[in-house]
Amino acid sequence: MLDVQHMISRYGPVTALHDASFTLEGGEALALVGTNGAGKTTLVMSIAGHVIPESGHVILDNENITEIPSHIRARRGIGLVPEGRRVFPDLTVKENLITGGYVLPRSSEQQRLNDVYDIFPRLHERANQLAGSLSGGEQQMLAFGRAIMLNPKVMLIDEISLGLMPKVINECYAVLEKLREKNISIILVDQNSDAALSFADKAIWLESGHVKWQGLARDCPLSKGSAVY
Amino acid sequence: MLAIDILIQGFIQGSIYALIALGLTLVYGLLRILHVAHASLFTLGGYLGVLITNATGSLFLALILAMIVVGFVGMLSYRILYRPLLSQPPLIALIASIGIFIASEEIFRIIFGPFSISYVAAPLQNQIEILPGISMSEARIMVVLLAFVLLLGVNWLSRRTRLGIATRATVVDPDMAMSSGVNVDVIRYSIFFIGSAFAAAAGVMVSLLNNLVEPTMGAVPSYKALAIIVLGGLGSVRGALIASLLLGIIETFGTIYLDDLLDRDSIAFAFLILVLMIRPKGIFSKG
Repeated sequence: MLDVQHMISRYGPVTALHDASFTLEGGEALALVGTNGAGKTTLVMSIAGHVIPESGHVILDNENITEIPSHIRARRGIGLVPEGRRVFPDLTVKENLITGGYVLPRSSEQQRLNDVYDIFPRLHERANQLAGSLSGGEQQMLAFGRAIMLNPKVMLIDEISLGLMPKVINECYAVLEKLREKNISIILVDQNSDAALSFADKAIWLESGHVKWQGLARDCPLSKGSAVY
Repeated sequence: MLAIDILIQGFIQGSIYALIALGLTLVYGLLRILHVAHASLFTLGGYLGVLITNATGSLFLALILAMIVVGFVGMLSYRILYRPLLSQPPLIALIASIGIFIASEEIFRIIFGPFSISYVAAPLQNQIEILPGISMSEARIMVVLLAFVLLLGVNWLSRRTRLGIATRATVVDPDMAMSSGVNVDVIRYSIFFIGSAFAAAAGVMVSLLNNLVEPTMGAVPSYKALAIIVLGGLGSVRGALIASLLLGIIETFGTIYLDDLLDRDSIAFAFLILVLMIRPKGIFSKG
């Protein structure tokens, strides 16, 4: 489904990502682990189209989407839950969700809103509240909901647990499990690498932009269960 | 009774300012560029209003055509002037915009001549008594009604349509709007169309009130509109609208009571300075 080949991305003269490659089938989850500045967000943003890679390819369902802008990638099914949530604070919860489903037909809008409200009933309760007034956990739910409105094939989730209470983090992972059951592929960045590795099927350990290790998540040297940990 | 009369005149003036400043605010909110050349579109609207009315006898047709044509010219200005400069510092776009504004005055002079043009038969000049002892021309009533309808329309568009919601999202975070599938370029073209069409409507209305258009008629509105969007808080639509009405009313009162000391434009800028001394980021700035 998603095939990333030999991706190299730069910020000006600085190479932030050296030669990352992986494939992901429908319903599979990939954890990106590593310290700050390792290149995890760069890889996520390169797939989302906000960073144009210097070389390499992003192929989604046999279509090369490397050169196409991020709004068309979204239409192809790349959903993004960015670091820091980045909800639209001056828009209501409902308006945020409507923006998330902007590309899909209006006729299915209410159904998709209902689907999101089923997953996150609190968003339904706060539908007419400004997003900027929500708590951090509610904003994370909204960021999830906004991406789900797109009917994504692949969800990119950057720093899922940053600044959230453990209860909310568990709720987020429960939602990810539901998405995986719907055959949505997930690429996940989490400072809590153990949580990410426990959830994911595959893992890439990045360090200073280089792939230090790559394989099954349960075998990752950073995993508690691994012999190296 | 005089105070009510002045208040109404100020409201009319403020309505015109609001139509001009709205486009400027929308463009600033979206691109963080001060679109000085917006005033050229106001002038173009005025010319089209007079010329089409004189040719067809229909002010309504002139207004609609002027808004559509100037709307497209506004989109063209985004395409050829601002879009190539988006990756440059905003100062570059500002300088380019000032250049286009100055050049446009000369272009109007070359095309339409250096002298003013008037309506052959100025429409809507009948006086109507709106309150006991207070009469107003139909043209002035139309200015207020038109501003009200257009501003109500843009509010509806912004709050009730997916395009409007996407536009507000794009103003806040264009990258995340794109990741939701919003084509930011389409939003920018739409904003330039709407803002420019509003400037054209203001141009037609001013041509109607003054019964003339001239190449330099955009000069005063250009810096007055800039003052308004600063006064309202840069990028705040609500702030710009309220600042427009406030400025119109203060100016009109000032011209009656302070006429010996300051002229109309000096009063406007004295008010601007006074407000900025108290609230340096404008009345409705969040920062």
